[in-house]
Order: sequence, then C-alpha cells, then structure tokens
Amino acid sequence: MGVNEKIAVLIAEVEEDQTLEEVRRALDEGADPLSLVEALREGMSVVGDKYEAREYFLPELILSAEIFREAIALIEPRLKGESMATKGTVVIGTAQGDIHDIGKNIVATMLRCNGYEVHDLGVDVSPQAFAEKAGQTQAGLVAISGLLTLAFDAMKDTVDALAEAGLRDKLKIIIGGGPVNEKVLEYCGADAFGKDPTEAIRLADKHLG
Amino acid sequence: MTSEERMQAVINLQVPDRVPVSPLIYYFAALYAGMNHADLHEPKNWNKAIDKCFHELGPWDAYYPLNFYHVEVGTFIFPMKVLEPGIELPPDAIRQFLEEEIMKFEEYEWIMSACRQTPLFSYLRLFMRWSPRIWDHVGEGWKSYASVLPLIADHLARWKLEFRDWRARGVTQLYGLGYEAAFDNFSMARGILNFSRDLKKHPAAVAAAAEAMTDSYVFMLRMVDLFLGVRRVVIAVHRSSNDFISPETFRKISLPSLKALVERLKAVGISSILHCDGNWDLNLEALRELPAGCAVAQFDGATDIFKAKEIIGDRLCIYGDVPADLLALGSPAEVDEYCHRLIEEVGKGGGFILGSGCELAPNARPENVKAMMESVVKYGYYA
Repeated sequence: MGVNEKIAVLIAEVEEDQTLEEVRRALDEGADPLSLVEALREGMSVVGDKYEAREYFLPELILSAEIFREAIALIEPRLKGESMATKGTVVIGTAQGDIHDIGKNIVATMLRCNGYEVHDLGVDVSPQAFAEKAGQTQAGLVAISGLLTLAFDAMKDTVDALAEAGLRDKLKIIIGGGPVNEKVLEYCGADAFGKDPTEAIRLADKHLG
Repeated sequence: MTSEERMQAVINLQVPDRVPVSPLIYYFAALYAGMNHADLHEPKNWNKAIDKCFHELGPWDAYYPLNFYHVEVGTFIFPMKVLEPGIELPPDAIRQFLEEEIMKFEEYEWIMSACRQTPLFSYLRLFMRWSPRIWDHVGEGWKSYASVLPLIADHLARWKLEFRDWRARGVTQLYGLGYEAAFDNFSMARGILNFSRDLKKHPAAVAAAAEAMTDSYVFMLRMVDLFLGVRRVVIAVHRSSNDFISPETFRKISLPSLKALVERLKAVGISSILHCDGNWDLNLEALRELPAGCAVAQFDGATDIFKAKEIIGDRLCIYGDVPADLLALGSPAEVDEYCHRLIEEVGKGGGFILGSGCELAPNARPENVKAMMESVVKYGYYA
C-alpha cells in the first residue's frame, strides 16, 4: 500500500494519531503536499459514504473532520504557493438569533474536505452580513443553519436580504438544521434544505460542482 | 379520574379515561402574554404568563416545570455555560448553551475514585467541582457549596409551593426534578469533539464512569422527589439519540447506566420520564431492555413515534410529539389532524401522553396550541 493510500485508509478509519503520524512522515520524506490533500479528501469521502450508510455517526464525522483539519495544518506550510483547486465558493453561518454551531461546523468542514472554498461567518449572523460576504466573495452558494424555530424568520430575512442585494439570481440558498423541512423551506423561500452534512455536500455538488 | 390517576395509569401501560396532555411550555408563555423572554426571570411574570396560557389555552393534566428561580440551578442539570436573554442575549432571544470543555478527560478517573469514596454524594461533588468553571462568581471548593447549595434549596422550596398551587387546581406535576443521564452529562461537559475522541479511544472509561454514578443519581433524585412529593423524574438523554451516536454505542456505553438508573428508581417507586430529543429510531429495540411500566419515552418529532408505538409500546409509555414546525407554521386543522392520528394510533390501548415535541416553539401559533389541547377532549376519551 502506498503512502497516499495508507493515509486515505487511516482517516477513513478515523485513526487520529496514526493519520497525523503518517502525514508528518510523508512530508518529511518529501511527498507532494497536494497529493496528500487529495488522499485525505479520498478518505473523507469514504467517511461521508459510511455516514450516509449509517455505518458511521456523528462522533466519527466530527473526529474525522478534526483529523482533516489537523492534517491540513501540517501540510499547508509546505504548499509553497500551490493552491488547492476549489469547486466553488460557499458562505455559511448560523441564522441570526441562534448560536448552535455543531451542525454548521461539520457542514463547513465537510464542504472544505470536498473541495469548496468556505467562508464561515460563525453563529448569530445577521442577514446583512450574509449578503455582504456573499457579494464580496461572489459565492455560488449560501448555507444557513438553524436549530431554533425562531431561526425560521431569520432565514427568511436572509433570503430577502440576498434578494435586496441583487444576488438572488446569482447564487443558490440552502438551509439546514434539526427542525428544517419542506414547510420551512417554503416559508423561507430558499432553494433547498438538507437534514445532514452529506445532503449539504450533495446540494453543493448539484448547484456548484 | 384525577389528572394524577390518569398519569399513573398511562405510565403503568393501562387505559385511562382519556389521553392526558402535558405541553412543555416556557418561552411561548412570554410571547403569548405580551412579554419578552427576559421578563420570565421575574417569578411573578412567569406565574402570570403560565396562568394566562392555562386559562386561555388549557387546561392540561400535568404541569411541566421549566422555570428556574436561579440560573445556577440549571447548571446542576446541564453542565454547560449558558447565555440568558436579557443578560448576555437580547431580551427576545432564548436561552442557549455553549459547547465548551467543562469536564477534563482526567475526571473520568476522578469520578471512579469519588464514587468509591462517597457513593451517594459523587454527583454533588462533581457538579460543585464544575460550577466554578461555568460561573465566574462561584468560588472553588467549599465556596462553591456555599454559593450554589442555598440557591438550589431556595429553588426547590419555591417549586414545592408552586406544585401545591397546581395541585389545588387539579393539575399534577409531570416530574419533581430532572437530571441529564450520566453518559449525556459527560458528552455536554466534555464538548462534542472531546467526547467523540473519548468514545473512539476510551469507551470503557466513559461507560464505567457513567455506571459508577448510579448510586448518587438515585440518592439525589429520591431525596428531591421525597421533598417535592412527586414520584416521577425526568432523565434527559439529549446526546444518546442517533443524531449523536450509533445504536451500538447506545447499547454498549449509554444504555447500561441508564438501565441501571431506571431500574433502581423503579425499585423505590419512582418512574422515569426519558426526554429523548432527536432521532431514536435505531435505538428503539434497545429500549425494550428497560423493564415494562417503569418509564415514559418522550419524543420531539424527530423519532418516528408511530414506529415507536409498535416497537416499545408494550414496554414504555410514549409521550409526544406535535412537532415545533407544525405548531409554528401549520394551521389549526393540520394540528388537529396530526393530534387525532397520534391519539388513534399511539394512544391505542393506553400508554400515551399527548404533548408538544420538546419545548413548545416560542413562536407557535396560539390557535395551534389550542387545537392540540382540545384534541384530547375531542378524540381522547376511551369509553
């Protein structure tokens, strides 16, 4: 098994210490940093598949995303100006009035793992902040998260703010979170909703990939 | 039947005269009474708001107490830093919890040691250890006891009076006091990333510490419920749904301590209401391991409650689950239709309590809440 394949398998098996050790060793031996990133992405793709198949659950998703983040932090200084190819730009945040961030953070990391440039605005994000960042970055996708029913109005206001900024036809808007469903989608006027991170990736791939 | 007899009947999996109803109301009461959420910190405002709900939208069978007279008391149940409306948040926001590390990894071992030394008081000792990490104004060591214990005592004394008033109105209490189950407590106090790492690398330490705390959980819950005169407790299992963990992790690591707790409480005549937020579909089979007639499984709309009736309906009373989005965005006719279905299918043969899926959405439409309450009168009589 080659080093890239080994790294992909280790992160897919959510082996934190071994994955990082292998990445360090590969870098020390002069491996191509971009190929290591690709290996990590391959492994994360397996994690996503296993999550979707309900073989993995939240702990595996969260821990593998953390391993990916830690590994990228090791690799980035070796990139020497090489840039990782992106599939598109996403602006993500939790709706105004809501500070829940577990789901939003996972979606942001999974989008990064899948090759998207992600601008994470954090929690309690105002509609204007979403619109401003989407305009600045020329994002193709805005993802709004919320766990509270009070977030429904903030999601709707964000959709309206993006329209007022003249961006509604230039990007897609997805919403996600525990109580989000078809009824909430209709209320907010967004384009699609997702119940878990793999659905968010699928929606991003559909609209940007 | 009185409301208490009705509750006892369904928990014992018997058929009552009609389906009991118990909505979980807190912030909704403020909006309905024309207040903002921060106003509920003042006890007289809470009493006024919940009374208005009871008289105009009720009645209900069991009062679901969720008003904390001191925010520190909430920490005793959910070991997380909290942001409150009107304090850290705008007055119309709702209470939110921060995902930060309160519990250190080394404390799994500390818990084992504390449970060996002082089995009945390990819960108290653990939370007094954590309190200064949550609240800046709470000191370390004996100072934490001196700061927090009087607040808990005052809170319980006020609840006791409150419960007496509700009983005078013919309304029983859903529970006397509640705690987060040990496994779920650790998940909250460690933070989700740390806890994910613990489950991957040290699952046996998590399970052992959770089981070791059973004696102190039983002792604390029993003492408080004796004082309050309610023979039911809420055991919240917020982090044991399949939104968080696999059915295998639930069965091997979370369930053993939960089962031990429920069985021990049953042995002293206390029923457990398991507050099962999130999706529990894949855990339902494992819940059959709990003894029949000992507990209530409360669902919030994320679990397939109709499937739950099929799988655990002969073991546990089922409670729920009018979804938040339906109450906030639906129509009274849609709520009526859903409640009718719940009563017909989940209420078949008894063993069912109608309620909102978790806390009633603050922005629920009052006419929808009324439709939910009225449905037990329209469709809920068995004879």
